[in-house]
Amino acid sequence: MSIFLDLVIGGVSVGACYALIALAMVIIYKTTEVPNFAQGEMAMVAAFVAFTMMDDYHLGFWMSATITLVFSFLLGCALEISFLRPAKDLNILGAIVITLGAEMILYGLAGWKWGANQNPFPVPFSEYDGFRIGSALVTEINFWTFVTSVVIMLLLFLFFRFTKVGVAMKAVQQNMFAAKAMGIPTRRILTFTWGLSSMTGAVAGMLIAPLATLDPNMMLDPMLKGFAGAVLGGMTSLPGAAIGGYMIGLIENFFGGYISLEFKSVVAFAVIVLILCFKPSGLFVKHFERKV
Amino acid sequence: MKRLLLCVFAILLCIIVVIPVYSEDKVRGVTDTEIKIGQWGPQTGPAALWGAVARGTGVYFDLVNSEGGIAGRKIKYYLRDDGYQPAKTKAIGKEFIDDIGVFTVVGGVGTSTGMAVRDSLMENEIVWVGPLTGSDNWTEPLQKYLFAIYPKYTDEAYLLTEYTAEKLGKKKIAFFYQNDDYGKEGLKGAQKWAKKAGVKLVAEVPVEVTDTDLKSHALKMKQSGADAVIMWVLPKHAAIILGTSKAAGFQPQWVACSTLSDSAMMYNITKGLWEGVIFGNFLDMDNPLIKKYKAAQEKFAPNEKYTGVFFLAGFMFAEPMVEGLKRAGKDLNTQTFVKALETIRNWNDWLGHDCTFTPTDHQGMKSIFVSKCGPKGEPVRLSDWITFTDDKK
Amino acid sequence: MDMKRDYYEDIELCKSDTVLVATIAALLALIAIPFFVGDYSLYIINLIAINSIVAIGLNILVGYTGQISLGHAGFFAIGAYTSVLLMVKLGLPFVVAFPAAGFVAAGFGFILGLPSLRLEGPYLAIATLGFGMAVTQIISHTEFTGGHMGIHAPPMSILGFVADTGPKQYAIIITTTVLLTIAALKLFKTRVGRAFVAIRDSEIAAEAMGINITWFKTLSFAVSAFYTGLAGALMAFSLEHLSTGSFNLILSITFLAMIIVGGLGSIMGSILGAALLTYLQIKLQIIQEAPVIGPLLMDISSRYFTREGLPNIQSIIIGGIMIAIVIFEPLGINGIYLRIKRYWRMWPF
Repeated sequence: MSIFLDLVIGGVSVGACYALIALAMVIIYKTTEVPNFAQGEMAMVAAFVAFTMMDDYHLGFWMSATITLVFSFLLGCALEISFLRPAKDLNILGAIVITLGAEMILYGLAGWKWGANQNPFPVPFSEYDGFRIGSALVTEINFWTFVTSVVIMLLLFLFFRFTKVGVAMKAVQQNMFAAKAMGIPTRRILTFTWGLSSMTGAVAGMLIAPLATLDPNMMLDPMLKGFAGAVLGGMTSLPGAAIGGYMIGLIENFFGGYISLEFKSVVAFAVIVLILCFKPSGLFVKHFERKV
Repeated sequence: MKRLLLCVFAILLCIIVVIPVYSEDKVRGVTDTEIKIGQWGPQTGPAALWGAVARGTGVYFDLVNSEGGIAGRKIKYYLRDDGYQPAKTKAIGKEFIDDIGVFTVVGGVGTSTGMAVRDSLMENEIVWVGPLTGSDNWTEPLQKYLFAIYPKYTDEAYLLTEYTAEKLGKKKIAFFYQNDDYGKEGLKGAQKWAKKAGVKLVAEVPVEVTDTDLKSHALKMKQSGADAVIMWVLPKHAAIILGTSKAAGFQPQWVACSTLSDSAMMYNITKGLWEGVIFGNFLDMDNPLIKKYKAAQEKFAPNEKYTGVFFLAGFMFAEPMVEGLKRAGKDLNTQTFVKALETIRNWNDWLGHDCTFTPTDHQGMKSIFVSKCGPKGEPVRLSDWITFTDDKK
Repeated sequence: MDMKRDYYEDIELCKSDTVLVATIAALLALIAIPFFVGDYSLYIINLIAINSIVAIGLNILVGYTGQISLGHAGFFAIGAYTSVLLMVKLGLPFVVAFPAAGFVAAGFGFILGLPSLRLEGPYLAIATLGFGMAVTQIISHTEFTGGHMGIHAPPMSILGFVADTGPKQYAIIITTTVLLTIAALKLFKTRVGRAFVAIRDSEIAAEAMGINITWFKTLSFAVSAFYTGLAGALMAFSLEHLSTGSFNLILSITFLAMIIVGGLGSIMGSILGAALLTYLQIKLQIIQEAPVIGPLLMDISSRYFTREGLPNIQSIIIGGIMIAIVIFEPLGINGIYLRIKRYWRMWPF
């Protein structure tokens, strides 16, 4: 029984990280229909910026985190303006290739700037202490990761539902030309979307870095799992994506704990292919047949 | 008009095709003033961390050159980045053989990358000294032109398990290994000792290179009730498993293999958890030569960020080669070089221990020593050199 | 000259005498190459040829049929392991094992093609990506395949002709490449090829014209996998040692990059893209030794970045090329070629 609880806690805490990345990807996909493969590297670069602030400039964690959020917002905007805006008549393949290209550029820049060495990423929460549920320990960082992901999900939900910009973003997704005609500054909205998503990803990066070690390869695996979570839940549903992320985390941990550690990292993909066979647009999104 | 253009293009094509014709020199890669030596090392990609080794070798050759070279010849060093991809390593191997024409090859990180070039290097009679993994593939079966230095993983795992059980008195030993050639060779060694001692490893837990979340791994080992865990993994995974296990309330005696022997770095990336970890070493940091090498690094590579154990390993793995070149002297060709290398017996004027090459055994080093990580990340030596002697086979 | 008068003229491989002459010249040049270049250059050309086969295969799927795959490294691995295992474990000759590699990969392509019938966009991307990762994972955990240790590949041999040297390997690889290229060119002059293109342009319109979408979509996956499997087998024999580490996601991405850079929906483009990217990947790692750019980059590195990180510039350049192609020239190198051709036709006006 105790191992069951431990696995749940492990699954939820790593799932929370996946959920944040999934959310970041969905924000972009929802508005622009671009599956952003560069999400992981954007988060990794953000984590490196936070690390540099703390390590080289000796700023506190919260100060560095704030600067990093601003930086990542600008990074997202910059990527949109320089890579996606100039592309005309972008189809899904073009979008994938552009974001893959952006991923390679960011990966290369990080390797060039910070080298391949591993770095410790300090956080003000303890990684080893916390409170207990039954016999299982929930560490502070696990707890705060979970809280952060839930809070961000709620904030995003409220944002899309009740703010003008949020509604405008929905409008842009549904019909770009109509939105333009209604006086929505579509280009600025798209740029803002990327900024927002990049910020969400940066939070994920700063939460994953202390659990792993900070190096340019850090986000390769979490980013794929986050993407898988987003696809599992449905690329256009925010809560769906978050739940998908948690599910991936849980599936992985249970599979690793009870069945086989060797195939733990691919079981998520097997499950996804199976589910997609029956629900081609993910669990929480209604599948639309394309019409003439 | 078009015909004319076509002709012009055809002629251009012919010229391009004909130009690159190379001439071969007498002894490949050796002139009266120069020896060409090559090394591949991942400067990019997933294994870029080990790229420091190849850069260290570069500094060592600069040092040798500044001291007058070897028998009047200066070393010309070619460092190539293979990104840890065998297809690229193969291309680099061909480039070394065919395009640059190196005399000998030193170091080289990775077993699968090395295996992609081993046979073509051997066929072209290029001596390869000191591949940077302790794989069995280098010396079994014996390759005439391949000289291995890194203590074999199987031997090292045997010695470490033996040490854990006999000197540390641990009864329940678990093995945590990377699920590939590197980790599995370690596992093989540990199993060999267990079989001999008539005990069983209480858990054998594999980790995939891409894994980041190791909670279920930690729980598996906790469940087994192990009081010591031997690690055969990447630094990243060692750091994650220490943190995750502590969070899961599992704190055995951790024992790490020599690829994790840079205790200062490990202490840093584990935020202090590395304290008390026992690990194997192949490189003697107390050796007086270290001071000289550090000075060389400050002179020739002042910008180098990482100057720990693996940067110095770049020096260490080239030392027997330079010794061999010195012994071969003025009359240098592949055969004299091989003969000279095979005269090295119990040689200790380097960072390792008892380098010995014989015509029937090209495994140069078979010893490790054990250290413990001190409270500030400094290594505290626990044992003298322990040698894997033939009776343990 | 471009006007087609009847059907047979349309399905001809060489549209004019000029093309015929150029093709023959190119083939002669291919025969001449091993007599002029060294082993190293020959190996690079072999790599280019192998990657060209994959690129053509992937282009059939992506460029001509309009699907997406991020899992071609999986087919590549299947092909490589099938051929080597058949030869090593079952002792089959190369002439049997080599085509078998293609057919086994095609079988897997067919299976993967089935779920992808209903998937599109990012869903298809993640499904294929998962497939690619699963394949390498399974291979590396099976003792029969040599596991992570890898397996040694015997030399290729056809009826006593043993390809144990660079030029002999080149002969087999280039012959295969040329044959597969011609087959691909021919394919798009048949009913099947045209059905692929129709599906890409509009699935619904294609269906209305009586094209069996289910059959042709899975067939496209199978054909694409067939090409990739054969290329994988060639790669195995040219590497001589197989291990799963080399068949990763990065490889799948590189394949995709090749056809994007070369040009979607173009056989010539696939080859050009494969050639360019393979060449860059081999050569960019010594960019610091280039005449003018090298010192400049070293200077930039030590001022703003780190010197030891400089080789990372490889991925920056390749990523930059990918983005630039999509933004400025969606048809890739082939598009540039077409524009130059049109320009010269009018020359000097």
